[in-house]
Parts: sequence; structure tokens; C-alpha cells
Amino acid sequence: MARKLDDIFNECYERMRSGESLMSCLARYPEHRAELEPMLLAAFDIGRRASYIQPRPEFKHWAQVRLEGAQYYARQQRQTVTPSQSSWWRQGWAVAATAVIILLVTTSSTVAASSNAMPDQTLYPIKLATEEVRLALAVTDTQKAQIHTQLAETRAAELEAMANQGKTEHAAITAARLAKQLELANAAIANLESTTGTTPTTTATPEPTIPEPSPPTPPEEVPAVQPPTTEEQPTATTTEEQPTTTTTEQPTATTTEEQPTTTTTEQPTATTTEEQPTTTTTEQPTATTTEEQPTTTTTEQPSTTEEPQTTPAATKHDKRAAERERLKKLLEESKSKSQVALENAKENASQETKADWQRAIDKIKDKNKEKQDTRDWNYWYKDKGRDENKSQSDNTTGSGGTPTNVSPSQNQPSTPK
Amino acid sequence: MLSEEYLVQQAVNGDQAAFTQLYNQNFDRIHRYIYVKVRSQAEAEDLTQDVFIKALESIGSYKWRDLPFAAWLFKIAHNRVIDHIRKQSKEKRASLDEAYARSMEDPIQMTERNFEVYQLKEALERLPGAQREVATLRFIGQLSITEVARTLGKSEGTVKALQFNATASLRKALQGRFDG
Repeated sequence: MARKLDDIFNECYERMRSGESLMSCLARYPEHRAELEPMLLAAFDIGRRASYIQPRPEFKHWAQVRLEGAQYYARQQRQTVTPSQSSWWRQGWAVAATAVIILLVTTSSTVAASSNAMPDQTLYPIKLATEEVRLALAVTDTQKAQIHTQLAETRAAELEAMANQGKTEHAAITAARLAKQLELANAAIANLESTTGTTPTTTATPEPTIPEPSPPTPPEEVPAVQPPTTEEQPTATTTEEQPTTTTTEQPTATTTEEQPTTTTTEQPTATTTEEQPTTTTTEQPTATTTEEQPTTTTTEQPSTTEEPQTTPAATKHDKRAAERERLKKLLEESKSKSQVALENAKENASQETKADWQRAIDKIKDKNKEKQDTRDWNYWYKDKGRDENKSQSDNTTGSGGTPTNVSPSQNQPSTPK
Repeated sequence: MLSEEYLVQQAVNGDQAAFTQLYNQNFDRIHRYIYVKVRSQAEAEDLTQDVFIKALESIGSYKWRDLPFAAWLFKIAHNRVIDHIRKQSKEKRASLDEAYARSMEDPIQMTERNFEVYQLKEALERLPGAQREVATLRFIGQLSITEVARTLGKSEGTVKALQFNATASLRKALQGRFDG
């Protein structure tokens, strides 16, 4: 049976792609010459036209940068997801070795000179290496977040310089570096947030103090509510008292400091209840507890000794929160500065490179968006995990911020379950 | 020169340099393939990047015996283009302004080339789906018959027949335009 024409056509096409001439191919199948020749010419005409479709060099460059960014990100992800102890040590040794080499090979003047190097200068790699060492020497989470933020500021300044000079290629690379650095800095700040706790109210800090007063108190009542209330509940071991207090003062008793006042006011008279909303929350507990000590049981005394412990923790927490906010603000400033510089560069750029500048702008925007999304998810997971843990072990502390809504008599049965 | 299979194996094992090499080998043709299927240069560029990012994400699960690497890439590109086209609410043809051939040569030659690319795109768009897919993978993507067959899940005989018919239709379309 004769070979099908499509098969012969394919064979000839392949032969010609491998370098055989049209005439030579046609000579193999003289009986099909008339049909084959126009078809083969058409196939090569299609190939010729298609060969005119070439990616723009700028696009190729950007695509390469984006791929490198994705590869870098994937590498980072692998490192952060499985930070095995051995790799940590290996990393530590590598950093130490790098530090020694840098110290030995380069003089201090070279390092100093490199600190102002721009991406288009020869000393720039030394600057980057120095930054790595600096980062590796950071011990605490706060230090790491600070250095990452500083590095982001540096990258933004470099990008601004490159944009002002209209250096498209260097700006492209620096934009990619800035995007990565913003990502790292945000992650470091997020890490800071997770260690600090997301709620800056006093409910977060007193929690560690719960175990301290627990020994003198009955075991059932320790996990009932927050620290100040744990002292109160022993006083209100006769659970009949507290239900009466909660009905009167539910709107006011939102913070932990206020809770001592709520219990104390009940016992004297209704006149004291009017004072509590007007006075400050920090002063009242100390004043009222001293007055009430005779009336209440001795278990209230730990509450007066414990409160000074919570305030330094709160101030430390506030400091960290303030630092976190400061770093976030700096990052935002760096980002917006570099974006403005890129926008200006785009305006002044030639028509051909405008798209490249736009990509640089998008890159920083996109990275931040991605990072924001992943950070949100991280929080979601963390919160979810925290909620689950709480619901399992410490169910009542979750509602400790609003103990007035639920009477202690209702809380207590729920904790053992 | 390292064989493609070796490079792919290295890339699967996490060697990023190997992946970059594969990327460089395939970038232009993937871009060309996408370009003739979408309506603008910007879309082609975005989708081309997406294909390689997707490939990077999935390379760990790639198996050589299932599909040759180029065919695997084109499959990603094909799926990506299909998704993209589905999202488009209405079809709009690429304008001549968006035509793509670029060179440092004189503007007349550049315009001629752009016109020829535009004609090719139009002719491809008019082909029936199966023929268009084969012609694009074969003549634009430069895949072998085997690779096209594996990519599309068709027999080699079917692909050869579709290729022949597509070539005949394209010849007619391009010649007719040229004559007109």
C-alpha cells in the first residue's frame, strides 16, 4: 500500500529542518513533487514568519530577573520551613568563615568604601557581603527586624539613585533586590509581632503570671479568668457574691485592672461604684484593695503584690509594639520613595523602556501584596492554632477580657470540661 | 553539551542552574507559541512568565517518562492560554500596532515583517481547533511529531494528518492574502 502523503510530507519537512535541500527531498518522491513542493514551501514560509516573533530583550531580562526571584524565594521557603539544627550550624560556620575571610582579605578601608557603593560599582558585592555578616550577627528578633529594615532602606536608596540616573538594567536588578528585602523585613517584623502577641492590651502580658498565684488558690479556680480576677475569685470563693457584682458593672469592667474594683465595690456600698468609672484604672486597684483587705479574705493580698509585675511587662510590650510600628513606617517610607523615583524615571524614559520601568514598579507592589497575603495567612494559622490550644487547655482565658458577660459560676464548670 | 534529560533530572532534584539552562533553551519558542494565541504583546509576555514560574513550582513532581520536557512546558503553556482566553469576555483581534517583529533594521522592513506576522496570526486563528493546535506546536513551537502527539494525547498518525491539512489551509490563507 502506498504511503500516505501526510507521512511523506512530514518526512520531507523533517529532512529539510535537518539541512537537506528542497530539491533533494523532492527527488526522493518525484511522483508527489507537484503536491509536495508548495506544501513544503508553505511550511517554511510559516516558520520564517514565526521566526520574526522575538521576545523584546527588555522583557527577556525582566523575565529572567523574575525567575531568579522565584528561585530565590523557593530557596528561602525551603530554608525557613525546615530549619534543621545542622543546617543552622553549618550556616553559622559559613557566616563566621565569610566574616574572617572578609576581615583578612579586605582592609577596613575597603569595607568602609564599599558601604556607599552603588549597584553599578565594583565594590558593591563587598557591601552585600558585609550586610550578610551584619545580619548573621544579629541575635534577637528585634535586632534582626531592625537590620532587615535598614537594608530595605539601603536598597530603596540605591534604587532611587539608579532610577534618577536612568539606569534601567541596574534599576531592574535593584528593584528585584528591594522586593526581596521588603519581603524579608516584613517577615522579620511579623515574627516580632508573633512573639510579642497581636493584642497589645493587658490581657496578653498577665497570662504568664497566672501560675504564680495558683499554688495558694484552689486548683479549680486558677484557670477561671485572668490574673487579677484569679485573685478575686479566691476572695469570691463563695460564688454567690460574684453574680451580683457582674449584673451591676458589666459595662465598665472591660480591662483586668478594673476587675478588682468591681468586686470590691459590691461589698461596701453603692456609693463607691460611682467613683470607679471616674478614677483611673491603675490607681484604683491599689487604693481599694487596701481598704477592703479587712473585709475580704487574705487571698487578695497577692493581687497587690502582683500588679507591679504586670506593668514592666506591659511597658516592655509597648516598647516592642512601638518599635514594630516604627519599622513598619520606615518600610512604607522606603517603598513609597522608591516607587516615586521609579515613576519619575518612567516618565522621563524613552517609549521603549517605559514598560520596563512599569515592571519595576509592579514588582515592588506585587511582592508586597504577595507578602501581605502570606502574612495574613500566617496570622490566620497562628490565631487558629492559638484558639485551638486555648479551647483545649485554657478555655476561659479566651473570654477573660469580658468576664462580666459570663458569671464566674458559669465559667468554672466549663474549665474542667 | 549536557543532554536535556540530564538537565531535567538535575532540575527535578532542585538544581536551579539546570532549570535556568532549560529555561533559556525553551523561552523563545514558548513565547512565540503563546504570542500567536493571544491578542497582545503584553498578554504574551505575562503568560510566558507565568508558564515558567508554574514550571519552576511543579518541576519537583515532573517525570521524564510521562512526557518529554518541552512537551510538558507546552502543555503548561497550552493550559495557561486556555485559562486566559476563557477569562476574556470578548474576542478582540490584535491590531497591527501590536504586531511584534522587532529589529534594528530599517522601518520599512520592520513594518513588512510585522504585517507578515499579523497575517500568520490571522490565518492560524481561522483554522479548526485541532489543526491550529498541531500547526502552532509544530511550526511555531518547533516540537517533533512525537512531542506534539504526546502533548495533545493523539496518535502520531492523527497528528501528521492534522499537520498536512493545517499546512494546506495556511498556504491557501497566506497565499490568498498575499495575492489580494
